[in-house]
Amino acid sequence: MRLTFDDTVESFRSTFRAWLGENRPSEEEMTADPAVSSAHLPGWARRWTRRMFDDGWLVPGWPPERGGRDAAPVETLVYLEELERARVPRTTNPQGLGIVAPSIFEFGTEEQVSRYAMPILRGEKSACLGMSEPGAGSDLASLSTRATAEGDGFVVNGQKVWTSGASHADFCFLFCRTDPDAPKHKGISVLLVDMDTPGVTVRPLPHITKPEQTDLNEVFFTDAVVPAANLLGQLNNGWALAGASLAHERGMVWLGTVMELESTFDRLAAEAREILPRLPAFEQAHAADQIVRCYVDVQAAKCLGYRSFAKLARGGSAPEQALMKAFCSESHRRLHLVGSELHGDGGLDVWDARRGEQAWIEQYFNSFGGTISAGTSEIQRNIIAERVLGLPRG
Amino acid sequence: MDLELSEEELELRDNVRGVLAAACPPSLVRSVFEGKDTGDALWEQMVGLYWPALALPERVGGLGRTFVDVTIVVEELGRAVAPGPYLATVTQFTPAVSELGSPEQADRFLAPVAAGETTGTLAVAEHGRWEPAAVAAVARPEGSDWVLTGSKSTVLDADTADEVVVVARATDTAGIDGLGAFVVPGDELEAFPRRVIDPTLRICDVVLDDIEVPADRVLAEPGAGGTTQALRRVLDEATVAVAASTIGACRRIFEMTLDYAKEREQFGRPIGSFQAVKHRIADLYSIVERSTALLYFAALTIAEDDPRRREAASLAKAAAGDCQRLVAEDGLQLHGGIGMTWEYDLHLLLKRAKAGEALFGTAASHRAELARSLELVAP
Repeated sequence: MRLTFDDTVESFRSTFRAWLGENRPSEEEMTADPAVSSAHLPGWARRWTRRMFDDGWLVPGWPPERGGRDAAPVETLVYLEELERARVPRTTNPQGLGIVAPSIFEFGTEEQVSRYAMPILRGEKSACLGMSEPGAGSDLASLSTRATAEGDGFVVNGQKVWTSGASHADFCFLFCRTDPDAPKHKGISVLLVDMDTPGVTVRPLPHITKPEQTDLNEVFFTDAVVPAANLLGQLNNGWALAGASLAHERGMVWLGTVMELESTFDRLAAEAREILPRLPAFEQAHAADQIVRCYVDVQAAKCLGYRSFAKLARGGSAPEQALMKAFCSESHRRLHLVGSELHGDGGLDVWDARRGEQAWIEQYFNSFGGTISAGTSEIQRNIIAERVLGLPRG
Repeated sequence: MDLELSEEELELRDNVRGVLAAACPPSLVRSVFEGKDTGDALWEQMVGLYWPALALPERVGGLGRTFVDVTIVVEELGRAVAPGPYLATVTQFTPAVSELGSPEQADRFLAPVAAGETTGTLAVAEHGRWEPAAVAAVARPEGSDWVLTGSKSTVLDADTADEVVVVARATDTAGIDGLGAFVVPGDELEAFPRRVIDPTLRICDVVLDDIEVPADRVLAEPGAGGTTQALRRVLDEATVAVAASTIGACRRIFEMTLDYAKEREQFGRPIGSFQAVKHRIADLYSIVERSTALLYFAALTIAEDDPRRREAASLAKAAAGDCQRLVAEDGLQLHGGIGMTWEYDLHLLLKRAKAGEALFGTAASHRAELARSLELVAP
């Protein structure tokens, strides 16, 4: 165990820091044209992705032809630390870069790589993930969107829901049922579906606190024809692909989450320093205790993340990774709850005029996105109990 | 930041765990609980394996390893509910002498610790308070000697330790000013053993009845510059060590609970297949892993003398406190009736975990410390 990285890693950090300073998108261009969904690529985001790709900084751990430089895991870690510190988003299409592109590289044909994965890396295309359905949330394997083989392709019918970024995405990484007679895990395939395919329609779902926000959508498929060449991997092997795809996400996603927890905590503490002196002793002590508990959680998440990373970097397994999703999202939610309660009746206001953004209470409701999406906290606990701890399935 | 044990550290842990499995089985712990054994043979074995010498400098006969290694040993001692003077001698007396005393005093008092000839402890708390400002015991000068009066609470091994570092203050001083530290031979103190929940920890209250301390046993004269700061460094180490012991016990409780949930069948299936049980066990795993991560971070800040050490110690102790609360409660609840028996080993661990909460500051007092360091409340 040690507190610091060795010199070669630190020099990697300085190299990237210098590059970042010269090439990063400016605050002005980012605020002038913000990404409004998780598959929206504003002009600056397209240019930024392309610059990172060209200079080997998009996915440092990958080879140069895929926008990397064959960096070691620990180098990728300090790269992410620097991006977070500079408050520059690595991508505005995280599911495209983090899940869809790597899955296509792993399972796709050359044509799929050149038509779908490489354009993501060059900032030319974005992707959404078609997973949840009205009848298939936590029980994803019971999905019923049908893809029927017909001629030289598939005809798709059905509906997806909670599809982040669908209104901006160029294509969908669609999980659909290709064999209705097989056991439910064994009849699923993945198709790459262009969003402008006739028969694909997107209906944005107004968000709990921002009705105008268009990140979540319903996506309807009505006799949409998808070429056979867009089948990813083996027919009916989609469930295995789902597990492998989501695994790309783990490993280092925690870092961004932890750094966001830290900056949220810093904001909470700064506001508390103004508010606490005005409170009567008992309420002051109670609020301070709530805030310190958040601090312990944030620091614990950080140390747990670094510990699990060290295990992975040594080539071992890191069961702690399974804990990070539920714990970080629950800590995030708790921070916002404590933040809204800290303000007393002022916490009812939905807009924080001083900072020009949504107030704690609104962000508290938003934070449930973290504990519900991508496997609810309850599903995470099942996964920990069954896959990590070996408890029998119920 | 690398918070995973190195090959060498893992080897030490496995080695210590193996030794304790043979030398400190639950049957020994139960005998100590029942007053039928003292655990002295275990201490002799630890001495033979140079455990007390691990982090001491080579100059006094130590092995020159770091506080991380001590943390690893103490975590395993907690896991085994090991009795004996290791915790007080190595994580309280030793840092007190190193941090507060002169190099000559370090040589004089620590060489025998490295050789396993001397045990020691630290008398700092009074009336349940562990912070330096709460010290009320008085040291008054008499020629070149000092005379100590007052009382100390919750001193580990005070009735058996060879040497006791006593913290006392100059007459008419208050707060963090005027503090001093003295080494008193154990047999000069009046120690009153308490009947406590974990009898493998010899917890005593101590009365200081005009104890004369010659000048060469004064580690820090009352009011000498830097004493409070040095004392805080001692408390950092002792605090992290207690957290390690607590988390060691908690990890074992978690493992026993997990095993039990897999074996115990009701309604025709293992109770661990029910989500009501499963989710609680997942939460136990999470809190044990989180506390361990904070523990190792704190141990590292001490080993590398990082400026964050004081805050890291409070984080680790606060987390260990929350950990023992949840793990002891759910661990016992999920075991059902068998956990309520003397014969089953679980209670030994529950008691070690609970004892850790009360030593060197409760979780609440360390959160208060964090609230001050975060400037949420006035210092």
